[in-house]
Formats: sequence, C-alpha cells, structure tokens
Amino acid sequence: MSELKRTQLYDLHVAAGATMVDFGGWEMPIKYPTDIVAEHLYTRHFCSLFDVSHMGRILVDGPDAVPFLQHVLSSNVMALDLNQAQYAIIPNENGGAVDDAYLYRFEEDRYLLVVNAANTDKDLAHLNEQIKAYNAKMTVITSDYAAIAVQGPKAKELLQTLSGGEAVTEPVKNALNTLKFEGRTVRVAKTGYTGEPIGYEVYIESAEAAWLWNRLIELGAKPAGLGARDTLRLEAGLPLYGHEMGLAPDGTEIPIFAVSLAKFAVSFSEQKGDFVGRAPLEKQFAAFKRIMSRDFSDLSVLPRRIVPITLLDRGVMRAGMPVYRGDEMIGYVTSGTMVPYYRHEGEGLATVILDEAVNRSIGLAYLSSDVLEDDKVTIDVRGRKLKAVIPPYHMRVDAPPYARPIIYKPDEEEAPLPEGDRTPKALELLRRAEDNHAWRQERCINLIPSEMTPSRAVRLLTMSDPSFRYAEHKKVKSFYDADIFYYQGTKFIDEIEQLLVEEMKAFLGCSEVETRVLSGQMSNTAVFSALMDWKNRLDRKHDMKRLGYVLNNHIIKGGHLSAQPMGALHDYIAIDPVTERHAIVNFPVCKDNIYKIDVEETKKVIDKYRPEFIIFGKSMILHKEPVAAIRQFVDEQKIPTTIMYDMAHVLGLVGDYFQKPFEEGAEIVTGSTHKTFYGPQRGVIGVNYQKDDLKYGLWETIESRAFPGSVSNHHLGTQLGLLMAAYEMNQFKDQYQKAVVENAKYFAKCLKAEGLDVAGDSAIDYTETHQVVVSVGYGTGPEVAERLESNNIILNYQATPDEEGFTASGALRMGVNEMTRFGFEKEDFAKLASIMADCILRGRNVVEDVAKLRAEHRELRYCFNDDQINAAVESFAKRTGM
Amino acid sequence: MNFPAELKYSKSHEWVKMLSDNSALVGITDFAQSELGDLVFINLPVAGDSITKEESFCDVESVKAVSDVISPLTGVVAEVNEELMDAPQMLNESPYEAWIAKVEDITDTEELMDAAAYEAFIQQ
Repeated sequence: MSELKRTQLYDLHVAAGATMVDFGGWEMPIKYPTDIVAEHLYTRHFCSLFDVSHMGRILVDGPDAVPFLQHVLSSNVMALDLNQAQYAIIPNENGGAVDDAYLYRFEEDRYLLVVNAANTDKDLAHLNEQIKAYNAKMTVITSDYAAIAVQGPKAKELLQTLSGGEAVTEPVKNALNTLKFEGRTVRVAKTGYTGEPIGYEVYIESAEAAWLWNRLIELGAKPAGLGARDTLRLEAGLPLYGHEMGLAPDGTEIPIFAVSLAKFAVSFSEQKGDFVGRAPLEKQFAAFKRIMSRDFSDLSVLPRRIVPITLLDRGVMRAGMPVYRGDEMIGYVTSGTMVPYYRHEGEGLATVILDEAVNRSIGLAYLSSDVLEDDKVTIDVRGRKLKAVIPPYHMRVDAPPYARPIIYKPDEEEAPLPEGDRTPKALELLRRAEDNHAWRQERCINLIPSEMTPSRAVRLLTMSDPSFRYAEHKKVKSFYDADIFYYQGTKFIDEIEQLLVEEMKAFLGCSEVETRVLSGQMSNTAVFSALMDWKNRLDRKHDMKRLGYVLNNHIIKGGHLSAQPMGALHDYIAIDPVTERHAIVNFPVCKDNIYKIDVEETKKVIDKYRPEFIIFGKSMILHKEPVAAIRQFVDEQKIPTTIMYDMAHVLGLVGDYFQKPFEEGAEIVTGSTHKTFYGPQRGVIGVNYQKDDLKYGLWETIESRAFPGSVSNHHLGTQLGLLMAAYEMNQFKDQYQKAVVENAKYFAKCLKAEGLDVAGDSAIDYTETHQVVVSVGYGTGPEVAERLESNNIILNYQATPDEEGFTASGALRMGVNEMTRFGFEKEDFAKLASIMADCILRGRNVVEDVAKLRAEHRELRYCFNDDQINAAVESFAKRTGM
Repeated sequence: MNFPAELKYSKSHEWVKMLSDNSALVGITDFAQSELGDLVFINLPVAGDSITKEESFCDVESVKAVSDVISPLTGVVAEVNEELMDAPQMLNESPYEAWIAKVEDITDTEELMDAAAYEAFIQQ
C-alpha cells in the first residue's frame, strides 16, 4: 500500500484522539472520542468543524478558462458571478458522472474547482485530456490551502467573531467573500455538505490552518469526522460519489439525471456548446421530464432514480441491500444507516427543539423510476424483508437557522367537515369578533408599519350601500373616451370615482390615476402586465417578450415581495439566456449602511445592465429613495427605461416631509392606501404621462390591465371610503406627515437611549420615514415579537439585510404612523420606548403600562373632527342603521 | 477500560456472568463497545432460540457497520433484554449492565478468560 497522505490538520486530529482511517488515499479522522452520533447532533444544534483539506483543489485560469469549464462541467459557468459558487457535475461521454464538484469564483478571472479526494487523480487525468484543446491552465493547490467546513446554526456567529463583526458573506447559499479573520486572509464560501442552512467552508493558507481550527474550538465549535459528515449529508439527501453517482451496486453506471440535483446542476445553455456528455444528457433530460409528468411508458434512458427511503420496521438499511415492490426487485439502497435527531414539539414558529435525541433508519435508494412518493416497499435486510416507504425528503432547511428533520408520517385522516345548527357558531363569531376589535382598538399599541386605523367616517362609508354593487366601466374611443358603465344604478359611484381620481392626482402630483385596483400588489401586477404588453405592442404575432433587465431592491435588502419574481413580477420577468436566471439585478447598498441604496454603484449597475425598468421602493424603508439622482443619470446617459416607485409603505408621506416622487422624476407610482395613507385597504396607480407623450399609450394599457385585466368588480364600498380618506389626507397631510417623521426619529433616539440596538444612521436619527428597525439578536426576532404581543404591543419581526430569512430574523420592524394618528406625541413615544425596553431587555410584564398609555390615546387625529362633521357622521350612521 | 473480575470473557469480546452451573447472562465487553462506536441498533435473538458456541446469535449495528455477536455458550435463550431495542446506547454506556440474553440449559462453553487474561489478550 502506498503511503497515505495527511492534511495540514493531521497532528491536531491525532492529538484530539481521533480514529484515523484511509479515505481515498488520505489518513483522515472518521470520528473523535465524542463519536459520530454526538458529532452529528452537535452540528445540527451548535457548530462542528470538518477538515475537508483532503478534497482536490484545482485552480483554472487562462484566456479559455470559461470555455474549457463550460466544456467539462455540467453547469453554466457563464451564470457564475464574481463571489459566487455553483454545484457542478463532471460528466463523461455517456452522461454518467466522472465526479461531482463545486466551482468557486473568488477572483474575476480564476476559478477554483473542488473535487472529491478519492477522485482527484482520475478527474485530473480526464481534465488534462480535455484541456489540450483550450488555452487554459490547471494548477493543483490542494497542499497550499487548508479547507475547514464550519457548519451549524452557530457558524455565522463564530465566524463573525473572528471577522470583528463584518458580515462573513451575503446571507445566501453559495455566496463567497474574501476577508480577514484576526488579521489573516481567508476565503469563505457559504457552502457545505451537511445540509445546514448556516454553513461555511473556509480556505486559509496551510500555515494558518491550525490557528483557525484551534480558534474556532476555543469559540465553542467541536471537531467532527467523516462519519458524521456522511450521516449529515445522507439526512440532507445529498449524493455521494460512489454511492449515488458513478456505479450502482449492480455495476451499471448511474445516469446523471437519476440524481435530482441534476435539474439544477445541468445546463443546456447555447453558450455551453457541445460539452462532454451533452447529447446523452439531453436524452436523459427528456426522459426525466416524461417521468416527472408520470409518463412511465419508456424508462429505458432513466430506468432508475435516486430517492430518499425510510425504514418503517425496526432495523438498519445499508448500501447494496435490494429493495422490492411486492415480489419485484426494483433497485438497491445506495446509502443507509441510523441517523440521530433531536425530537421537537409544538407547531409552526412555536416549534421547540428538545434535548432528547433519537435515531431513525433512513437512506437513499436507486429505485425504478416509476416509484412514487409514499409508495410502500420492502428492503431485504440480511434475509429479513423489512417494510419501508419513499418519503418526500428527510430534512428541510427553509426555516433557518436550523435544519429541520422531517419525520415520515402517514397522511392523517382529515377532520370531518362541519355540520349541524350554525346558530351557536354565529353567536360565537360575533362574540369573538367583538373581543378582537376591542383588543386591537382599546388595549393594543399597534406598531406594524403597514397597518392603520381609518376614521369613523371612512369606516362607515366603506360599509354603506355601494359596497356589494357592481360598476364595471371602460373608456370608449367612439365616445371621445367617455366612461361607459355596464350596469344601471351606478351614477353615484361614477361620480365618486371621478372625484377620487382628482383628489389622488392632487395628492400624488401627477396627471393620471387609476383607483380600481384593490391592493398594492394588484397595482404592481397591473403595471408589470401593462409594461410587458406595451413592450410587445408592435408585434402581436409572437409570444410576448417578458421584461428584462429589471432593477429592484432585493427582498433581503428590504425590497417588496410584490416587486420580486416570487411575487407580482413572476409572470412578467424574462430569463436571461446567458445566465439562465431571472433578468433581475438589484440596487447595490452602501457598505456602511445596508438600508440605503449606493447611488454611485447603482450607476455602474445601470450602465452594465441597461435595465428597461427600474423599481424603487421597499417594505423595510428607512431612507428616501434616490429617484432624482437616478433619473438624472439615465437621462444624461440616454438609457431608455421606465422608473416606477412602489410607495406601498410611504404613500401617505408623499409631500414636503419625505419625497415628491413625480417631481423627482418617477413616471409611475403604485401604492397601498392603508399603511401611512389612512384609507381602506386598496391600491392606487398614478402616472405622469401627458396625452401627447408616446408613453401615454402605456398609461392606457395600465388602465386596461386594471380593468378588465385585474378586476371585474372593484369593490365600491372601500372606493367610497377612500374618497373620504383622500379628503382627510389632502386637508391634514402637512401636520400628519411632519408629526410622523418627527415621531419616528424621536422614537428611534429614545429606543437607542434605552439601550436597544437601533438600526440605521444615527446622523439622521436613524430614519427618514415612519419606520424604525431594532436588532434584538440573530434568530430571536420571532420570540421577542411574540413576547411583545403577549404584552399587547403589536409589531412584526423582520430579517435584516444580513439574515437568511424570516425564521432567522433578528430584528423588529416598527412604524409610528397609527399611534401618531391616535395622538401619540414625542413624550408618549419616549414612554413607549421605556416600556418596550423593560419588556425586551428585562422581560418585565408591561400589560398595565401599555393599557394605561393606550387609554390616554383613543381619538383619531388628522381627520375631520369638528361638531358639524361629527353630527353628520352620526346622522349617517343612524339612517344607514350602522 | 473496565473489566469486572467476577465475569468471564471470550476471544470475540463477549462477557459471561454465570448465574448457576447451567445458566448465564451474556453481553459485550467494554472493549467491544469502544471498538464498535455508537451502537444504534440491536437485532436481538428470540427467547427459545437454541444457540451454539462460536456462532453468531445476535447482531449490533453502529452508524458505520453491522457486527455479529458470537455466542460463547451452547444453550437456549431464556430471556432477552428488550430494553436494548429502544436504547441500544446502553451497550456503550454501561456494557456490563446491558446484558443481551439470559442463556439456560448450557451444555457447552468455549474456553473463557478471566479479567486479567482478557485484559492481556486485548493488549496484544
């Protein structure tokens, strides 16, 4: 036997008492004295270190680096931006895998390919053959840098301690960064092989490897060996070469599309040209699509697929064990063992992970492609036929910071549908609704920035007769654009709608307004649909081209859900054929203030991508959006684009104390009418095109995408209420807006003085809007928000721009708008800040203090309140029976 | 590592605690559990099984592998330690309390070592 290779950390493993084994020619720790089960659990619960320095690391550069990589990898290398990584498979000519790999782009022109240790020599032989046709160079740097995987929910905290607080990477999978850990240069990737949502792989010069390893152990991480690495990846459903790739137990080659990751790892982009294995992979993809559509008529290309499998009987499945459906042998277990997990109890966000660990027998199997989820099979476990099932997955990672084991449960019997006398239910409904109303209106302090209480007049009008009616109408050119109504009885609401349009034009400062949209999201959908229609107006004989590029605020930087591809942009955003991703690019944010758009960097992005559509606006918004600066830039550069400001949150702040979007150069404004604007829940679209503008046609398209594109009946009651709210707004906005912005700044300062960690720029008193953001600690947002709710302070927890998602939220988002309307002044917000600090920092019960403060403020301000109006409102209520 | 003096030990790392001339408890030694690592499953024999010395009568599984447990005795399984089904980690935590089977009607026994001899044996 040739001598085993050792990593930079070998001595530390031996000193720690690790059991060392031969792994692909390397002498590696299989486990430490803690043993595999404890190492697995510590990874899922806290943070483990894995020495992955044995993996082959190959630098690829040279003029043809990209064409070479496109030729030898399954992935689309053109889609890999700087400081991003991607998973890839190295295909062979038959559509099988030579190996699987990760490709990192830490530098503009150099790519780092990381391959399996045991395959490194084989991979290099294959790649060296392929590279001959290219002007590119490969350099093996395995021994120059050590690689340490830092995986588990605490990983980020530990690494941020070493970075002195600097964000380690962007909070998204596959993000990369180069930075210093206590003076030493490291390259960090948000990648890993454990399935942990919070996991990193750190590359560091060999000489510094032991320092980093020991430092992380000092901070609380523990070493874990290859045994735990295997159970962790198995639980995460990640394939391992030699088990789920390469040769199957029967000696046949596993096609790449047998592994579900292939869907993401294989690209047939034109840019890739005729890459190794393309033709058989295209056949596999066609077969994959048939199989996923449950057409099992021809399984010849993909006879079997890798699926998760769970043992229902007691026992342990192991790789190579045959699997049966009835008497038919349908494949093999490819990986299997007992995997530990911490039990959990409770539901949803209240789920608590317990200290009690148990095991489950799970695996991956290479089974006939017609096997479906929930199918029951048997596994031949050394002569015993044990029952097993195909679960959808073993684990999910969409509730960070924890990876959550999913324990297979057969479908429960559905609860019977309700039946019998509904009278008691009706009474119960009335009682509970009354309680809820009283609670929210009398005892709660509401700080949700997207909520508002409208005036009594608005609420009464909202419920009065035009509600429940229909008033569809459309402008008709033959009648000189007169609005034609389809139903009778609509003259009143026709007039109301015209009055509302005029009031909203006056409020927004624009030439045209559409008020039929029912929500901010619908406003956006109508605009996006209209823009796409407008783009294609001169060619109706082809499928419509979607929008792209679009510049927006990323959701994790506070962007609106409704301006994302997962939201209202979904059906209207193009796929960039080069990157095969949504043609979206995001506003860069300032390094020292992640809540603020970086204007100079934005100009570079606009110059590079020439976006046809720019969407300003956020749901976590502390600053004015730089509309004027970007308008000036695109005009100077003659970049044809459309600028929209989604003012959902800040619609009620349009004016001297915040922003005047149309004066600054926005063409379209959308918004919701019930956040800082204090109307009923609806949407609104305003544009500033004039009749003789080319883009007036876009406006007409927006109208038609509102009706009949988005609504048939546009909910007349709330439209009537909105007119009253618009009167109130236009009458009182100067006092209201001034009070909101001043209160927000003052509230932020008070919270800071109380010892809370207020986000944003202290030089401007943290905010220029109604919102205040407070950090309460990574992942603790939901718990703190829940505690405040039980003390009748209602707000929402929020992921900050450097957190992974809502379950990992470490911040609270608050708005002063509703309480300002209820008459809160500066001293009231000072009291509130003190009460909140008591509750958040000291866990004090503050229900009484909240009740007292709220009781002092029950009457709405910034609306008509004089005797004449009040008498009219009461008379209206009486006559309408409300 | 702990090897109680009152027990006898086999070369395949089982311990035997004689209860009478023809009945005994059988388990695996501290050395065996330490070599196997975390045990996550045990496939117990069934009461009534006839077992034969130097033949497998049970298997235990760690995360990485399955291992046979070899019977040091010939006899009949009178009782098995069902608790181990739900808590195989007891084999790691207290190997001499975590007996696997009670064997009766013992007719034959392989050559067993005392604690000192066994300790010397595993040092080799």
